[in-house]
Amino acid sequence: ALPHLPALWSNTRKTHSLQDLRQQASIAAKVFVQRDYTTGTICQFQTKFPSELETRIDKQQFEETIRTLNNLYAEAEKLGGRSYLEGCLACVTAYTIFLCMETHYEKVLKKIAKYIQEQNDKIYAPRGLLLTDPIERGLRVVEITIFEDQSNGRIEGR
Amino acid sequence: MPSVDKSGGVGGPSSPPTSSPSRPLRPSRYIPVSAATAFLVGATTLFFCFTCPWLSEQFSMAIPVYNGVVFLFVLANFCMATFMDPGIFPRAEEDEDKEDDFRAPLYKTVEIRGIQVRMKWCATCRFYRPPRCSHCSVCDNCVEDFDHHCPWVNNCIGRRNYRYFFLFLLSLTAHIMAVFGFGLLFILYHKQKLDHVHSAVTMAVMCVAGLFFIPVAGLTGFHIVLVARGRTTNEQVTGKFRGGVNPFTNGCWRNVTHVLCSSQAPRYVGRWRKPQTVVVQPPFLRPQLSDTQMGGKVLDNGIQADRHSSRSSLDMMESQSADAEPPPPPKPELRYPGLNRGQMSLGPTEESSLLSEAPPTPTMYKYRPSYSSPGKNHTALTHSNKMIRGDSLKEPPSILQSSQQPSYRSEPSLDGREGQRERGDRERGGGGSGGMSSVPSSGISGYSLGGRSYPSFTDPMVLSGGASRSSSLRSTHTAHNALGTLHSEGTTSTSYKSLANQTPRNGSLSYDSLLTPSESPEFESAAPDAPPQVLGYSSPFLSAQIAHQRESELHQASAALLTSPQKSYVRASSPPPVEREREHLLPDSHQMPQQHSRPPRFSRPPLLSDSQPFSYRARSLGSPDAPQTPVSPSAVPAGSSHPPLGKSLSYTSAATELQYRSRPPEGAGSGGGIQAPKDEIQMKSFSRMNGHLRSSHPPLPPSSPPHSVSPSSRHGPANHITPPVSPTHKPGGAVKKVTGVGGTTYEISV
Repeated sequence: ALPHLPALWSNTRKTHSLQDLRQQASIAAKVFVQRDYTTGTICQFQTKFPSELETRIDKQQFEETIRTLNNLYAEAEKLGGRSYLEGCLACVTAYTIFLCMETHYEKVLKKIAKYIQEQNDKIYAPRGLLLTDPIERGLRVVEITIFEDQSNGRIEGR
Repeated sequence: MPSVDKSGGVGGPSSPPTSSPSRPLRPSRYIPVSAATAFLVGATTLFFCFTCPWLSEQFSMAIPVYNGVVFLFVLANFCMATFMDPGIFPRAEEDEDKEDDFRAPLYKTVEIRGIQVRMKWCATCRFYRPPRCSHCSVCDNCVEDFDHHCPWVNNCIGRRNYRYFFLFLLSLTAHIMAVFGFGLLFILYHKQKLDHVHSAVTMAVMCVAGLFFIPVAGLTGFHIVLVARGRTTNEQVTGKFRGGVNPFTNGCWRNVTHVLCSSQAPRYVGRWRKPQTVVVQPPFLRPQLSDTQMGGKVLDNGIQADRHSSRSSLDMMESQSADAEPPPPPKPELRYPGLNRGQMSLGPTEESSLLSEAPPTPTMYKYRPSYSSPGKNHTALTHSNKMIRGDSLKEPPSILQSSQQPSYRSEPSLDGREGQRERGDRERGGGGSGGMSSVPSSGISGYSLGGRSYPSFTDPMVLSGGASRSSSLRSTHTAHNALGTLHSEGTTSTSYKSLANQTPRNGSLSYDSLLTPSESPEFESAAPDAPPQVLGYSSPFLSAQIAHQRESELHQASAALLTSPQKSYVRASSPPPVEREREHLLPDSHQMPQQHSRPPRFSRPPLLSDSQPFSYRARSLGSPDAPQTPVSPSAVPAGSSHPPLGKSLSYTSAATELQYRSRPPEGAGSGGGIQAPKDEIQMKSFSRMNGHLRSSHPPLPPSSPPHSVSPSSRHGPANHITPPVSPTHKPGGAVKKVTGVGGTTYEISV
């Protein structure tokens, strides 16, 4: 059973104010874009266009979003001079540097969160979709929430 | 030290909400870590107090400074290894697992650099474990890149803290060597004053250092090799890549740099989550829909991808060098080709030629109209759609039944079967399909074709296919068996997540679990309960026929199960009847393909005759490898291209069945001896199976060795069978699954 989490840590997508609930459309379905492991365990998501989204968003847009995410994750996991220096510095300071400094990965994760927020605002929310940051799912899936289109009474979903 | 989030860490019973639920306080968990800390800090302090002053005066100040730096490094890495979150996955939310448990397979196959890797369903965490992820039973969490659970730091070693653990080992080895060396230097200069306190303490410290040096240095050397080879302890100990190809390695240098120089991986649990600020309100924009877009929908994103990848990789798999480990060869891939074959051969004879040439989808499309009432079709198809992934139960029974009753091909049977299937689904979830009391492996029989995520392979198709008795059925049967065995491998004992979810047992690779197998006895006890449930689910259509059929099959199945390939098992149970039964059943198994249309699900026993390998699979619930094991000399083995990992061969057939029904695959491993890693790497190394099987079972209970012998013998024939299967199925990579009216799923090659 899922542990009960405080509101801030809650997994629910819905806001907590009644007014917001009224304004927010109801969730019709969720699509999960799985990880793409063909090149190993680096964090990449499948760019295959889920069929449930066929009527909601353009394929190119979706693929563009996923590709950008993949590039960002690749950048986060890149084994470069920067990460090496970070490791050396951490070693030298007995890892106390982690108390004050943000790691490279975390910095890129912030960038990714910002990107997803921006994509949601500009592209997905107007189409009744919502992207969830995959880090909330342990970088296993990109969860796309499909909202019910009440204007024409259609309900998407499996 | 930076604050780290560690679930169930030294805090005791209270665990962070984002990880597992609170576990009982187990003080015994803290004994090794306390002892290790005490020895480390205590001995080093004594060294600094009694030995270093004289050394610094006699030689130089650099000695204590060097020792101090090394000791500080040891402590820092020790603390990081102890307190850092190893990479725990948060539990999946409920809506992520919206696929019906009853129909979802236990394993999902994914291709990594051309090598098939199995992702196992984690019943506790509710997701398919990513590659290299494993569930730690001590911590009750799935850990990314799970290495092992280290009792000395009382923490799992995973992706995030492996580097610190490795550096801890290196620095501790250096520290021990320094302490011992300088202590020896001190003693050598104080040979005449050995009775002094300083000398005595130094000698005591040297003893402690010398005592710990051997295991620590050994472990350090072991991990140096692991890092160089790009493996985890879990993979090494379970022999996943023995003789095989490790898809996770990038070469020695890159492996080392990845461990030491990569950026610190992020935490997944306990993250700050921003409240959702985006408000989604209709009306929504809609894209312009073209005609091509209007159509059926792909059934499942992930599965689709997996299927495609698995299909396309089928050929690649064929060409993979035999390697390793047992994990059953990608059953799903083989399954598809076999399915196609089956479909083709099972269909009306006049269409078989067409089918053999056409891609799978058109075949199924053709079969659809032959189904019985539309209503039935609808339910059946919708069920089959969902069952795509885990319709193992359906398949085996039909095969067996078909062999038993050649004449059973009427419409009502189809309807009944569909109805049965529906019920079977439920039943499966409830208590293992067709749990014939007398047939311990009835659950196993369900595996034969279970876990198949072939959406278009609907029941109607099977039904219609069963009607024909073309000679190609034999090959199909072989293919089916191959597929079935493959599947069973993948799905292991329980092809359905529902069954896995029932018993949240988690097999984790910890040294403790290696030493204390405790799984087997439970399976035995579970057996008696299983059978009664099954009979109650027979559908009204088939109740009379099926009940009768089943009973006869039960007897046969039980016999078959006992006679199965694992001779060592068989002898232990009831050799004489088994032999007879086996003879009797062998011919039947060949007829199975023809009889696909039999009322399937309930009649597990029939499957047993040719699903003997399945029985092994069921047994090997816990161990990923076990499933594919030894198939009887019948046609089934030919089809099975999965090397019987044989890890779980130590279960009796009854125990096996129980595993299938009520126990999640995790932890069901062979007596817990080695909790096989949840993620299988499927290698097609039939020739290697023998070696692998034997070598991979050292920790297994004594009963396992005999089993390992039999499975290995089976692989030989299986190897031959597999190649024919693959060429028939060539996923073009552009097969679109379309949902038509009534929920039928067609595969249309685009």
